[in-house]
Amino acid sequence: MKAVVALLGLDSHWRGAVVVARALRDAGAEVVYLGNQFPAALAAMALQEDARLLAVSSLSGSHGTLVPELMRLLHERGGGGIRVVVGGAIPPADVPALRAAGVSDVFPPGRPLDDLLGLVRGLLAEERVRQ
Amino acid sequence: MSEPEVDAATASGIPLKPVYGPADAGALDPARDLGRPGEPPFTRGVYATMYRGRGWTVRPLAGYGTPEDTNARLRYLLAQGATGLNVTFDYPTLRGYDSDAPEARAEAGLGGVALDGLEDVARLFAGVPLDEVSVSLVVCNPSTAMIVLAMYVAAARRRGVAWDRLAGTCQNDFLMECAVTTAPAPLPPRAAFRLACDTIAWSVEHLPRWHPISFVGYNLEEAGATAVQELGLVLAHARAVVRELGRRGLAVDRVAPRLSFFFAATNDFFEQVAKYRAARRLWHRMMREEFASVDPRAWALRFHVQTSGVALTAQQPQVNIVRSAYHALAAVLGGAQSLHVSACDEALGLPTEETIRLGLRTQQVLQHETGVAATADPLGGSYFVESLTSAVEERVRAYVAGIEALGGIVEATERGWVHAELARSAWEHQAAVKDGRRPVVGVNCFVEGEEPPREVFVQPPAASRQAERLGDWRRRRDAAAVARALDALGRALEGGANAFPPVLAAVEAGATLGEVHARVRTAAGAWTLPLFGPGAA
Repeated sequence: MKAVVALLGLDSHWRGAVVVARALRDAGAEVVYLGNQFPAALAAMALQEDARLLAVSSLSGSHGTLVPELMRLLHERGGGGIRVVVGGAIPPADVPALRAAGVSDVFPPGRPLDDLLGLVRGLLAEERVRQ
Repeated sequence: MSEPEVDAATASGIPLKPVYGPADAGALDPARDLGRPGEPPFTRGVYATMYRGRGWTVRPLAGYGTPEDTNARLRYLLAQGATGLNVTFDYPTLRGYDSDAPEARAEAGLGGVALDGLEDVARLFAGVPLDEVSVSLVVCNPSTAMIVLAMYVAAARRRGVAWDRLAGTCQNDFLMECAVTTAPAPLPPRAAFRLACDTIAWSVEHLPRWHPISFVGYNLEEAGATAVQELGLVLAHARAVVRELGRRGLAVDRVAPRLSFFFAATNDFFEQVAKYRAARRLWHRMMREEFASVDPRAWALRFHVQTSGVALTAQQPQVNIVRSAYHALAAVLGGAQSLHVSACDEALGLPTEETIRLGLRTQQVLQHETGVAATADPLGGSYFVESLTSAVEERVRAYVAGIEALGGIVEATERGWVHAELARSAWEHQAAVKDGRRPVVGVNCFVEGEEPPREVFVQPPAASRQAERLGDWRRRRDAAAVARALDALGRALEGGANAFPPVLAAVEAGATLGEVHARVRTAAGAWTLPLFGPGAA
């Protein structure tokens, strides 16, 4: 199960993304860490990597613009099946719009890492069933 | 019956005893290792009377939206009793993009003020007495720090403020650029380090009251560093800068008094106090023993503190007011020269006017009500604090020696060693929170159920306003003069001359921040960040 981890735009807070990358790897995912990416390049790379999970981090406030753009590009290019999760400084009021754009789950500060790992274990199990 | 053995240690892993006594401070020679406040080795503080002589600078952080938006908040803070300013810039400015660049479109004016040209600096500081208030320009990227400082001194000149009146700081920190604030791609470490030293060398000659570098420990701590790592990385960096400027012909006693430091204050209270005290002692020894400095002004390490944002929680955010107050107390008991207390809604977004005022009031309560400012180094002589100060010092010394063995801080950064260190500590912290070894109230203990939603600060959109203004600026300026100035900068960068004078000439000719940075980036070349890649952290 391949998971892509990236930061959106110019936001430099990599601590959370790197911790998540390591947690996903320890949970059994094959992790590709892409650092900072803008939506077009990130959508292209997620497709190229055949990712099942795309975890994006944003603490700059740009999620309102860049996440819907990423989701639109993924859908347009046939990546609608990729599960996208967003973590970072996401105000609760912004969550419905991200969900509406197709984001599977949102991880604001303080949400336990175990919630994300539960999702990963589910994807790993799905993959085992398919094989 | 004796107490059960408790396996306690500081956040850096220094073992803690249940009680300390005279034997623990046994190796300490008070004359050699402590001295009096204001005297070598400055363990007890850099001034004889400390805060009685002069209170610490209350320096709150502000920056969002357009220059006018931030100008309003700067004036508000001065009116509320701030004694210094601390201006943050938006991501595009930090990373070298103009507000109308495609890369900037989603982030102009977010997390800091949008700044594109010389006129923006004039708007940002309109009505602020630049010859009286010390101003910290929070730009770490050595390229954009150089550009923003050039705009600042150019704006001062236009306003008729003499350069020898300008007091303040810019971060100008290559380690931040290459290991922390890295998006979308950092400058190569060697190029970033060279640019930082260019700004320092120019500033030492032209800005007698300016601190052209603030060695940033804060963001290293926020990225994961323990107290020992924070101090070790910062001192290894400072040593490299003093050496490089010495190589350029600037003696240690001209350079060192212009250097400043920026540390975090976070949870492990006594270890934080010990960190500041050890920092001063280590610096004094490095200056005298390694660099043979003879000017006492070079021996005293002065520092700004920001209370940790990472230590604050999204759950029960009002509890953060209490956390930050303890952090601030550690900074004051450790002898900080300047302080910003993070707002309690830090984990949720940018602060509201109310939460930033609470941070300000936290400082004012400390300064005026608690009495902690009356006596210098009140914890000096404590068996425990002296023992811990020595333990931190010893570990930092070993850490710095380890960096030296790798070839120094620039080499250690190039190799990805610094990134690996930060990522490892961040991971260990997360694991300790996850399994409960490190209690965090409201997160892994004393958890409340559903919490009411909080009001968050809504950042005003700035991109379109700035882009429009920038278009107007580009039409009004002398395009040929801008092109000539940028070409001259390109030649200076290729030829290895100090880049500051041609950057200053370019911004005075009307070049934008993005245009200048593009030249710098081209000359500096590309570098792949060694983070979570094959063979990396």
